[in-house]
Amino acid sequence: MTAVIALDAVSHCFDGEAALTNLSLSVQPGESVALLGPSGAGKSTMLALLDGRLRGWQGQASVLGNQLSATRSPAREIRADIGFIFQEFALVDRLSVYQNVMNGRLGRMKSWPALWGRFGEQDHICVTRALQDTGLSDLAHRRADRLSGGQRQRVAIARCLAQDPELILADEPVSNLDPAHAERILGLITGAARSRGIGVIFSSHQPDLSRRFADRILGLRDGEILFDKRSGRVTSEDTDGLYHGASAATGLRVVS
Amino acid sequence: MGRSVIWGALALAILWSLTSADMGLEKLPGAGPRLTEFLGRMIPPDLSIWPEVLRGLAETLRIAILGTLFAVILSAGLAVLAAETLVPPAIWRPVRGLLAVIRSIPLILVAMLMVGAVGLGPLPGILAITFHATGMLAKFYSEAIDNVAAAPVAALESAGASRTQQLRWAIWPQMAPVILRDTVFRFELNLRESLILGIVGAGGIGLYVQTYVRSFQYDKAATVTLAIVGLVLLSEALNTALQKRFS
Ligand SMILES: Nc1ncnc2c1ncn2[C@@H]1O[C@H](COP(=O)(O)OP(=O)(O)O)[C@@H](O)[C@H]1O
Ligand SMILES: [Mg+2]
Repeated sequence: MTAVIALDAVSHCFDGEAALTNLSLSVQPGESVALLGPSGAGKSTMLALLDGRLRGWQGQASVLGNQLSATRSPAREIRADIGFIFQEFALVDRLSVYQNVMNGRLGRMKSWPALWGRFGEQDHICVTRALQDTGLSDLAHRRADRLSGGQRQRVAIARCLAQDPELILADEPVSNLDPAHAERILGLITGAARSRGIGVIFSSHQPDLSRRFADRILGLRDGEILFDKRSGRVTSEDTDGLYHGASAATGLRVVS
Repeated sequence: MGRSVIWGALALAILWSLTSADMGLEKLPGAGPRLTEFLGRMIPPDLSIWPEVLRGLAETLRIAILGTLFAVILSAGLAVLAAETLVPPAIWRPVRGLLAVIRSIPLILVAMLMVGAVGLGPLPGILAITFHATGMLAKFYSEAIDNVAAAPVAALESAGASRTQQLRWAIWPQMAPVILRDTVFRFELNLRESLILGIVGAGGIGLYVQTYVRSFQYDKAATVTLAIVGLVLLSEALNTALQKRFS
């Protein structure tokens, strides 16, 4: 089986500041990976790179068997196969929930009929299912700017699910959700990995939830991979070290 | 410091205006009776001229509609050249400067120049409105372009949307309400401003105001005035009703 993600010695700098340092990583179809790490660790940068939106990075990266370029966006068909859930949701405020989710289908359509708002039957089916799965059916005709933060986040998730991608990249997809919704959504996207054999990477600040839903946990700090383990083997030392640093962690232990 | 300086300057300006201008205040006492006499002659308005008035109104409306239409077309192109997010400063800076100059030339002056260039009639009026309105509309449109949020566009691109699909489903929904609101607003201004174009021979109902006041036919001038007030109130109501829909 070819890997859905293969990174080899990937690095990136923002204005001379290292944001990703020498990352190597391989993710198999059907695998769901959680990306843990403090703010500024490089989670968003790494996910943007995998989505083909980062420019000027170094190394080798391939996604779904396609070599990524550091200077160009991937072709339309490849972009359509990679689903992304944005940390800031990135919805079109004046459009309805339904149309925002339909926007996730655009990459699967011919360019022209979509301009007149004529979408295919399959597209409507996918949108309806994505709305049901995210509990948004009742809000379908509400404008996106008339929603709460959690509802907006679910629209962003539904848009990605409607896209029917081969790989889901999710930047803190449950940060604004209550525990019940957070579990439902993580169950949904990691379940899709298992049942449909697609790859999933999501970043998160919740180690316990991540351990429950992901097969594998990646600890990222200052742009470097600190650990890369099966979920069951991740210890609280691992996560403590990630958020507090080695010295801070020992300091805490001395006090207790 | 600022406040007292501003108040001082204001007081000086008022004092200067009152004292230096030869206002001819001595004519004021005679004006009262004269105005009441005019008013008396305006009532009752001579409604028999309604066919002329209607024709004048229709021409004014056509000038406003066509002037707005051509201004919209010109502005769409110029707005792209004036948008900070689309072109380099070497282009948008001079284009914005040009638009500011266009805005600063009074419509009546433009109309007189156009009458000189193409002769009397509605054509110079249409040209004047087109020129004048473009200065404002192109600026508004370019601001609408610059205010488009980039994140939703990037999200559609990421999902595989083509460039035209991004334009239709992420850029246009953000711009359309702003552009429609600005255009309706400008149309109302165009209609108001084109009412006086006839005074310099650039078409429309203004011609009748000019004719009847000059020839002391105040009862007819009254009818024209009533028609103008009616049209302005109507367009204002329409504008208000439409503005509510653009949010
Ligand atoms: N567009 C940018 N320009 C400059 N620096 C950036 C930019 N985006 C992120 N960074 C920097 O890169 C580092 C990693 O950021 P990010 O990937 O957003 O972290 P995370 O998502 O883990 O919180 C941070 O130090 C951040 O300040
Ligand atoms: Mg982030």
